[in-house]
Amino acid sequence: MISFRKVSLIYPNSKTTVFDDVTFEVSEGEFVLLIGATGMGKSSALKLMNGLVPHHTGGILGGDIQVSGISTRTVRPGELAHLIGIVGQNPIHGFVTDIVEEEIAFAMESLAIDESAMRKRVEEVLDLLALTPLRRRTIASLSGGEQQRVAIAAALVMNPRILLLDEPTSALDPVAAEEVLAILQRIVHDLGVTVVVAEHRLERVIHYAERVIYIASDGTVRVGSPEEVMRSAEIAPPIVELARALGWEEMPLSVRDARRISAKKVDISDPSTLATKNPAPIAESVATGENLVEVKRASLGYASRRVIKEITCTIAAGEIVALMGRNGSGKSTLLKSMAGLVEVISGEVTLAGRDPKTLSGRELVELIGYVPQEPSDLLYGQSVEEECALADHDNGLQPGTTLNLARRLLPEINATTHPRDLSEGQRLILVLAIVLTTSPKLLILDEPTRGLDYQSKERLISILQERAAMGSSAVLLATHDVELVAELAQRVLFIADGELVSDGDVRDVLTASLPFAPQVTKIFAPSKWLTVGEVVDALQK
Amino acid sequence: MIIAALIGVPIPGTNLFTLPTLSLPDWIAGIRIGGPVTSERLLSTLGEVMIIVGVVALFAGATSLASPHRSIRALPFAFYQLGLILTIATSIFPQLVASIKRIHEARRLRGQKGGGLRNWRKIAMPLLEDALERSLDLSAAMESRGFGQRIKRTTYRPDSWGVFEYSIVSSALISGATATLWADTWLEMAISGGLAGLVSLLPLTKKENIAEVTSLQSSGVAS
Repeated sequence: MISFRKVSLIYPNSKTTVFDDVTFEVSEGEFVLLIGATGMGKSSALKLMNGLVPHHTGGILGGDIQVSGISTRTVRPGELAHLIGIVGQNPIHGFVTDIVEEEIAFAMESLAIDESAMRKRVEEVLDLLALTPLRRRTIASLSGGEQQRVAIAAALVMNPRILLLDEPTSALDPVAAEEVLAILQRIVHDLGVTVVVAEHRLERVIHYAERVIYIASDGTVRVGSPEEVMRSAEIAPPIVELARALGWEEMPLSVRDARRISAKKVDISDPSTLATKNPAPIAESVATGENLVEVKRASLGYASRRVIKEITCTIAAGEIVALMGRNGSGKSTLLKSMAGLVEVISGEVTLAGRDPKTLSGRELVELIGYVPQEPSDLLYGQSVEEECALADHDNGLQPGTTLNLARRLLPEINATTHPRDLSEGQRLILVLAIVLTTSPKLLILDEPTRGLDYQSKERLISILQERAAMGSSAVLLATHDVELVAELAQRVLFIADGELVSDGDVRDVLTASLPFAPQVTKIFAPSKWLTVGEVVDALQK
Repeated sequence: MIIAALIGVPIPGTNLFTLPTLSLPDWIAGIRIGGPVTSERLLSTLGEVMIIVGVVALFAGATSLASPHRSIRALPFAFYQLGLILTIATSIFPQLVASIKRIHEARRLRGQKGGGLRNWRKIAMPLLEDALERSLDLSAAMESRGFGQRIKRTTYRPDSWGVFEYSIVSSALISGATATLWADTWLEMAISGGLAGLVSLLPLTKKENIAEVTSLQSSGVAS
C-alpha cells in the first residue's frame, strides 16, 4: 500500500538528513505504529506518505515513495485526498470551518462531490465516530477528544484507503485516548483502512499495533512485529521494561498478556513474593515543610460559569504533587490562580501567605516558576544564548547563570540554535532552566510531557526530584500521563468537573481508579505496586 | 472630528475662529496643529467622519447577518476563493486574541513588567511565530484535504437567500443608487453612504442575529 524505496530526505537550510536510505513497506489493512525519539522524523515520515513533504514544506527527497502505485513525487497532496486522510498533531490548527458537519463536508466540497452523495457520507461518518449528537455544535466548544474525533471524521469522509495520524492521543486524558484508539481499531477491522499512527505514549497504543516502524536514534529504520521491535528498542512502555527486567522470554504488550505471564512466573502463594509484600505509602515518607500554597474554599473562573468550585487544598515545601483529571476539568485554571492569572470569585488562594495577584516582577518569579502548556510562549529570543541572557538581565543575575544551568540540565544544547528549532523535549528543558534560575519556591508545570519521549521524560523526572529533595521548594504538575505521576509524584489531587474528588497518597489514588492506574498496578492488582523499579526492588529483597 | 479640525492640512475659506498654532519640525511640513478653523474644513471633516461611520456600520451589519463561514456559502462560485481567504483571515482574529492573552500571561510569569514600545518585540515575536505556525498547519490541512483541486465546488447544505437577505441587499442597492443620483459632490455622497450604512444596521435589532454574533464572538474567545 505504502512503499518507501531508498528514501532520503533533507530539509532546506539544514545540514543533517532526516532520513538516509530508508526502505520499508506497509501493506493493506494494517494498524501500523510509528515510533522513535523526538526529532527523529516521525512527523516527517507521515507527511512524506501523503506528499506534504516535500511539496508543502520544501526539502530534497531522494529515492521513491509510492502510495497505492502512485509516486508522491509526481502529484500534489491534494490529488491524493481521496486516497489518504491525514490528521495533524494539533487538529484545532487544521479546522477550516466552525461547525462540525461543515468541517466534515469540507474535503468533499473541494472535490465537487454532489450534494446527495455528500449528505449520505457525512451521515455515515457521523455515525461511525459517534458524533451525531454534536453535529451542529461549533468546533471551538468541543472537548479535546471530541475535536480529535471530528478531525478523524473529516479525514475519513473521503473513504480513504489510508489514514495517517500524528500523536492522536498526546493531548488527551486516558479515557478520551481510549475512545479514540478504539475507534481507530474499528476503522481498521471494519473498513480495512490502513492506519498509520505516530505516537510517543507506547503504553497506550502498542497493544493495538500489528506492525511497528521504529526509527532508532542513529537514524536506521526497522520494521517488524511489535514483539520483535520491543525486544531491543531503546524506547519501551513500562510493561516491556518489566518483562526485560524480570527476564521473561515472552514479550507482553497488553496488561492481559503480562498478567498471564506473571501468574506463571510469580507464585502468589509463595510468602516471599510480591503479593504479600505490600508497598508502603509514599507521601508519608516525605519530609514536608511549611505550607507554600493554601487554597481555601476557592471558586475560580467567571461569575456566570465557575470553573473551579469551592476547592480546599494545600501544598507544602518538599512535596511533588500531581494534579489529575479529565480534559476540561479545570486543572489549568487552578494552576493559573496560584500565579494570580485567574479571578478568584470567592474563597482565597494564597502563595507563601500572600495574594498572588499582588505579586509581580522579581517577587513573583522568586516565589513561583510556571511552565505553561505551550512552553514556547515564554521564549522570544533568537537563540538559546540570547534567551538565557535575557533571563539573566530580567532577573538581575550574573551574566551566564541561566546558560550554565541550561547546559547542566541539557548537556548537548547548542547555544546558537533558535529555540523553535529545538525538539519539544529540549525546548521544555530550556524553559525549565529559565524558570529555575530564580530558584522559585513553587514550580508549576502544566502538561509537561505532551510530545515528550521516554528519555526526555526521565531527564525531567530527575530534575524535578532533585528540586523537591532540596526541601525548600515544591513541585506541582498537571498531567494526563499516569506513568509519569507514578514515577514522580508523592501526592495526587484529582479534579472532576471543577470539584476536588480526591486528595491523597499517589499509591492510594492511582490504584483506586481503573483508567488512571499505571500499567504495573494493573498487572499486579490487587497489590499496590506503581512502577517497574518498585517491583524489581521488592523481588530482589 | 475635533481631532481632524485641530490637526490636518489647512483648507482656505471662511474663517470661523483661530486656534493657537503649534510649531512643528520641517520634515512634517504640510501638517499643522491648531491654526485657523474654516467652515470648509469642518464640512470636509464631517464628510470623512461619515465615510468611516459608513464603513464600520456596513461591516458590523454584514457580520451580524451571519458568521463569515456562512456568508461565503451564499457567495457565487466566482468569489469562492476570495471568500475563503477572507474567512481564514477573519478566523485568525479570535485566535490572535487568545494568543495575545496567553503571551501576556507568559510575560507576567517571567516577571516582566510594563508594556510600551520597548517591549513590543517580546509580544510580537511569539505572536508572529504562533500565527505563522497556525497558518502553515491550516494550509497543509487544506491542501491535503483537496482544496483547490477542482475549479467547481459543491456546497454541503446550500444556504439559500431568504426575504431577509434580499431586503438587506436591496436596501443597500437603493441607498447606493440614490447616493449616485442625488449626490453631486463627494461630500454628499459620503453622507448618504453613511446613512445607508446606518440603515443596514437595522437588522441588528433582530434578536437572534445579535445572539448569534455574541455567541460566535464568545466561542472564538474561548478557543
